[in-house]
Amino acid sequence: MRAVTCCDDNRLSRRSVLRAGALAGLAGSLLDTRLAYAADPAYDGDVLVLLSLRGGFDGLSAVVPAGDPAYYAARPTIAVPKSQLIGGGTFFGLHPALAPLLPYWTSGRLAAVHAVGQPAPNRSHFSAMEELERAAPGTSLRTGWLSRMLGSFGANDPFDAIAMGTARPARVLAGPAPSLSLTSIDGLALTGDDAAKPVAATMAALYRDAPPALARTAGQLTGALDRGRALRAAGYTPAGGAVYPDTELGRALRDVARLIKADSRLMTATVDSGDWDMHENLGIAAPGRRMHDQLAKLAAAIAAFATDLGTDGLRRVTLITISEFGRRVTQNGSGGLDHGYGNAMFVLGGGVRGGQVYGSWPGLAAGQLRDGDLAVTTDYRAVIGEILRARCGVGDLATVFPGVAASALGLVTAR
Amino acid sequence: MTVFEQTLSRRTAIGGAAAAGAAAVLATGTPARADTKFHPAVEPGVEFVEEPATDPAAGLLPADPLLHLLRRATYGPSPASIAEIRRLGADAWLDRQLNPASIADPVADELLARLPLSGLSIAEIRARVAAGQLKQYDWTPMWQLSFAAAARAIWSERQLAEVMVDFWANHLNVTCPFGDVWDSRTDYDRTVIREHALGTFAGLLKASARHPAMLTYLDNRFSTRLAPNENYGRELLELHTVGLEYTESDVKDAAKLLTGLTVDNATGAYRYDAANHVTGPVRILGFTHDNATTTGGEAAALALLDHLALHPSTARRIATKLCVRFVADEPPAGLVTKLVKVYLDNRSAIVPVLRALFTSVEFAASAGAKTRTPLEDLAATVRILGYGPPPSGTKTFESLYWMARNAGQAPMNWGPPNGYPDVAAAWASPSGLLVRWNFHLSIAAGTWPADLVRPADLLTGMIGGRPAGYGALIDATAERLLGVRLGPAQTAALAAFYGKTPASQLKSNDPAVGWTYPYLMAMLLNSPNFALR
Repeated sequence: MRAVTCCDDNRLSRRSVLRAGALAGLAGSLLDTRLAYAADPAYDGDVLVLLSLRGGFDGLSAVVPAGDPAYYAARPTIAVPKSQLIGGGTFFGLHPALAPLLPYWTSGRLAAVHAVGQPAPNRSHFSAMEELERAAPGTSLRTGWLSRMLGSFGANDPFDAIAMGTARPARVLAGPAPSLSLTSIDGLALTGDDAAKPVAATMAALYRDAPPALARTAGQLTGALDRGRALRAAGYTPAGGAVYPDTELGRALRDVARLIKADSRLMTATVDSGDWDMHENLGIAAPGRRMHDQLAKLAAAIAAFATDLGTDGLRRVTLITISEFGRRVTQNGSGGLDHGYGNAMFVLGGGVRGGQVYGSWPGLAAGQLRDGDLAVTTDYRAVIGEILRARCGVGDLATVFPGVAASALGLVTAR
Repeated sequence: MTVFEQTLSRRTAIGGAAAAGAAAVLATGTPARADTKFHPAVEPGVEFVEEPATDPAAGLLPADPLLHLLRRATYGPSPASIAEIRRLGADAWLDRQLNPASIADPVADELLARLPLSGLSIAEIRARVAAGQLKQYDWTPMWQLSFAAAARAIWSERQLAEVMVDFWANHLNVTCPFGDVWDSRTDYDRTVIREHALGTFAGLLKASARHPAMLTYLDNRFSTRLAPNENYGRELLELHTVGLEYTESDVKDAAKLLTGLTVDNATGAYRYDAANHVTGPVRILGFTHDNATTTGGEAAALALLDHLALHPSTARRIATKLCVRFVADEPPAGLVTKLVKVYLDNRSAIVPVLRALFTSVEFAASAGAKTRTPLEDLAATVRILGYGPPPSGTKTFESLYWMARNAGQAPMNWGPPNGYPDVAAAWASPSGLLVRWNFHLSIAAGTWPADLVRPADLLTGMIGGRPAGYGALIDATAERLLGVRLGPAQTAALAAFYGKTPASQLKSNDPAVGWTYPYLMAMLLNSPNFALR
């Protein structure tokens, strides 16, 4: 059993320092573009970036419990050897492909939480994702938890919440609060539309009496086209020498950073990273192997995002990774991992007290598993709840996560 | 009450006049008489007293039941299909579509001949690799299959069969293109999906379970006696058959029973490997089997598949899914129950279920209750314009495929095993709408793809000639593309796009009847009317 908790005596004083820093940053580089749109009076919390690792992320490969001998026994050909781990403490170490994130880990802006997951095992991708994003088991709620979070702030502008990199709406944003799904900012252009041929304006008129569901999407589009025009005109060069990988995730995070820097109204953004469903040939921790290469791409994109935001920008951003379930502890006959339960989350941000693994480790020995899987000792909603409380200013967590109390891991400092 | 339920209750009220007018227009492609009444505004006021919450979808679609059937059972009406269904009537048209082998399909046949790798068997692909005509792991056959899917959706005469191929390809999804199925994905399309699309579900399911593409995609080929891989066992229960009614024990037993169903690495063909079959009794959702011998493992697995195919929960899932595709996002419960009975009475035969669905009162009452997905929108765009394929080459099919992909719905390209979503809310995003609006203009104007066969004179080809005024131009084009006229405010907005009013005279050198006419066509295709199915 390894409990990792700590406390921060200086929370209040640190908070005021952070605020001053954030304001200074805004006053400098961001103020001009910020004025282009009305400031959102209801929200001054962190921009919450939700990075969904689709397909069942193997947290045990990413944040390796090297101190638990059962880990090596269960995975004879795919375990990450102790000698290859990075950023390690005495018990956990990170997969070497996460090296691009090591500076953020060692400087304390990236943390992990282990043995997290949903309150009950659900090993179906599709229903687990649905439940993860609805986040209200045992209730009849049909909205996504991010939509409820937005609603608690009275968010009323589609640009408050962006699902970036997708042509389809995000389930976690399903609900009455407005949101946008955008494949990219540069792609926000309507062919042929100009002052002489006002296609967008004409379409707005055509949809005026349309069925509400159709009218809403059309209205969001015509509004977004205006905003897109301004953003494109402003152009974008990542800061700090950040180089985003040319992947869907890299492009999506680049556009999230672009919005964060240009538009202070953004409250939350969701991005997806797929292809974590590795039933076969997950591979050793070496280039060319599936898990290694997937983690490397993930780390490169997140690291570029953090570099681009810079220290000041990151002060008002928290990025969380989630996945619908973890993988089985024991590898299968195909050198892969079937669907499991407990998992690891990453948390990156200026307010994170990083460089360590949080949570309560249940152990991987046979008697400590839950039907062969890593047991869950921390509800993922409690982890997010702590961030929503401390970083986003959510007062009443019950509206977002009914029946869940925020964790007291001390994962982040209060804003 | 949802928007769509409101539609149902209002539908009968808007009937008659609109139906008659729209029918005449669409059948001939010529403008309707100016005195034909199309818009709900002309309905007697008493209707609105009865139902003060006016139906937002009313008047957006022509009320003609033949056009309703065409919009649902095909990738969208085309001028030719409208003429055909008028000639045959609904019943004969449906009979014909449910027997696709009876339909000559020369245009699609010729298009497929340009994509000769799209229908290759595993052995044929491997033979070409051996002969040096294809590279090992070559994706060309999968790409040709993908481009062929776009071409078939638009130009095949066997429209309902194509729609059902899409339906089953989603239900038993094997992502295309996908590297691990480089040699088997085209064969899967031909011998599993197409072969059984209008056969029985039991036959379809068993064919998929013994196909290398499915066994590879869901990892069963790698499942071993000592460490069964659960991926296929779980999706077989959850996605292919009963739905979320299984227990973890059902999954484990299914995974055990399915061991041995694998792929011969030497030939790429399906093989039952008795030496890798896990023996011992299994119990899966009411199915029990001693599973005593390794040699009997394949027969036992097939018995499970028959059991699952005819399980009442599977019947309900399939019936519900078909209703979601063809009737409404939230299907009428009574219709689903009726179709479950038809499915079970006919031992999972698909044609009787479809016939019952399309002839039901619930189907007839569902106009306005479905929104086009991006792929449907794309195909429907080319179909209603009546544009033909270019006389040679495949570039256009590739362009159409990439357009669908940009909109988020390239045929067969969904990654996870659950298939593309089939409800409006899943596609109601500004990003997706933008892609659609953009392709409406580029297709109508012929900028991309540039070589679709369009009328020599677009205006004449669409509406027969130049009307006297802007209002008449807009009305005639709306009738041609949507089957209805727009309301006065919308018509005025379109005239205003040209800096005119509906009453403005139309001169022969006005851009509106020249190079900017495609803008009018595109804006009508962007309209909420066309967005509905």
